[in-house]
Amino acid sequence: MSAVGARGLGAGFLGILLALWEAAARMSGAKAALFPAPSMVAGTLATMIAEGHVFVPLAESMLRLGAGYVAGLALAVALGVAMGYSRALDNLFEPLVELLRPIPKAALVSPLMFFLGIGDLMKVTVVALGVFFPILINTILGVRSVEPEFLETARTFGIGTRSMLAKIVLPAASPQIFAGMHISLGMGFVLVIVAEMISADGGLGFAIVNAQRSFRVKEMYAWVVVLALTGYAMNALFMLLRGRILRWKRDSWVLEETAAQA
Amino acid sequence: MFSPVIGEPLSPRQRQFDEWLREPGLPPLLSLQNVRKEFVLDRRRVVVVLEGIFVEIREREFLTIVGPSGCGKTTLLKIIAGLIPATGGEVLLNGRPVAAPPAEIVYIAQQYSKSLFPWRTVLANAEFPLEHHRHVARRERTERARRSLARVGLLDAADRYPWQLSGGMQQRVAIARALVARPTVLLLDEPFSSVDALTRMELQDLMLETWHERRLTVVLVTHDIEEAIYLSDRVAAMSGHPSQVGEIFDIDLPRPRDQLATRSASRFLELRERLFGLVRPLPAEARR
Repeated sequence: MSAVGARGLGAGFLGILLALWEAAARMSGAKAALFPAPSMVAGTLATMIAEGHVFVPLAESMLRLGAGYVAGLALAVALGVAMGYSRALDNLFEPLVELLRPIPKAALVSPLMFFLGIGDLMKVTVVALGVFFPILINTILGVRSVEPEFLETARTFGIGTRSMLAKIVLPAASPQIFAGMHISLGMGFVLVIVAEMISADGGLGFAIVNAQRSFRVKEMYAWVVVLALTGYAMNALFMLLRGRILRWKRDSWVLEETAAQA
Repeated sequence: MFSPVIGEPLSPRQRQFDEWLREPGLPPLLSLQNVRKEFVLDRRRVVVVLEGIFVEIREREFLTIVGPSGCGKTTLLKIIAGLIPATGGEVLLNGRPVAAPPAEIVYIAQQYSKSLFPWRTVLANAEFPLEHHRHVARRERTERARRSLARVGLLDAADRYPWQLSGGMQQRVAIARALVARPTVLLLDEPFSSVDALTRMELQDLMLETWHERRLTVVLVTHDIEEAIYLSDRVAAMSGHPSQVGEIFDIDLPRPRDQLATRSASRFLELRERLFGLVRPLPAEARR
């Protein structure tokens, strides 16, 4: 089956599900208030966008996510390279990492509120912590699996330690680092929404909770749709960026070519 | 791309060079003095891979080390390259001990698919050796890389990534990249072992041409005895356990060599027979 055909099938199936939802909602009668039809949700969403209610919470959530993501990424890559490179540093940090890693980071929202309050700093910290571990683990693995031939070749041409990191180790580990970044992107998105739901201080998470508590059901669903579309767009953007940076990888070429055909 | 001079007599310069090579009393460019290498496996077990290696390599010589798989040929080459330290003895380059990888020596790893940097284009790979030399300007760097790629016939592939090239082409890029660094010594670890037979012959001739043009000293390791004889001035045979360099054979076949004529010469067959007797596979239990 061609790529176009495959996409058409998926889109068609989605259309059928929406139609079924629409039909079920219209037939549910009195319960329609709690179970609005997609067309009604879409209408509400259109009004919200037109009246300018969507942009501010969306921007708040994205800024918090962005700040936390970049902070977590930078720290995780730095520590990951150090731990992957040096046996001593690995021995030093490994127990700590293995103890902190399994904590579901959403559970840290409450304790962090004591230290950092309910503001942006707390949310950015939660996101950074959640983003940190998957990238750290993948960076360590990536750095450890750099082909020894790369290192030998670089050394025979007289490369120094600092250049070795920037020119050999990081690029060689980058596919693995991107794998961690992909996991972390989804995790960071979940965490920023959860933190906003708990601390009730703006953003998309608070918008949903607020709509729910005021029984503005259609609006609540509309916010969920905003989340879905935001997540989809973020992922698409991430894959585009990854494809650009990992252009040299055989599989990313194949992916791009398939995408170009579609 | 077989040698274009089939049956042509040796040029006077070439003959002069051949005589010069065999002239006794020249100080060696590289000298392996009682080199020993052991690997510590765990607290109780230590494996001695190389023991009492003495070899002297003259300037502009093409020396090949042959030996069965697992005999430590690669280890020896990496010691000469300054990539790993010897446990005992020393390697002298122009009389000075080799510690870190010297600028004059370039080592080309066996697995060229792993030695080319896959995240760099062919051109960027070829530019790599010059990026750490501040005095080489960016334009000169590109120019030298392009010239070197042109020499191995791959200028057209400059913008491609390594995986888009065949095995033979990748190996040419590895050779071009090494030449960009303008080394005096080239160390090659089974460079032609994973390409098809025709490509291998092309690469062998390319190697001989560049060796001659650039007046390089080449140390090559291989388990292919015919390849060793075809390419070399001298062939050192490694054997035993731990490995030692036994006899070193003078290959008195005329140059330039020719894939057909050289390989069918009776002297070639004679040398092949003698070397085969020396290089036998190690018994299974002796391998690491």
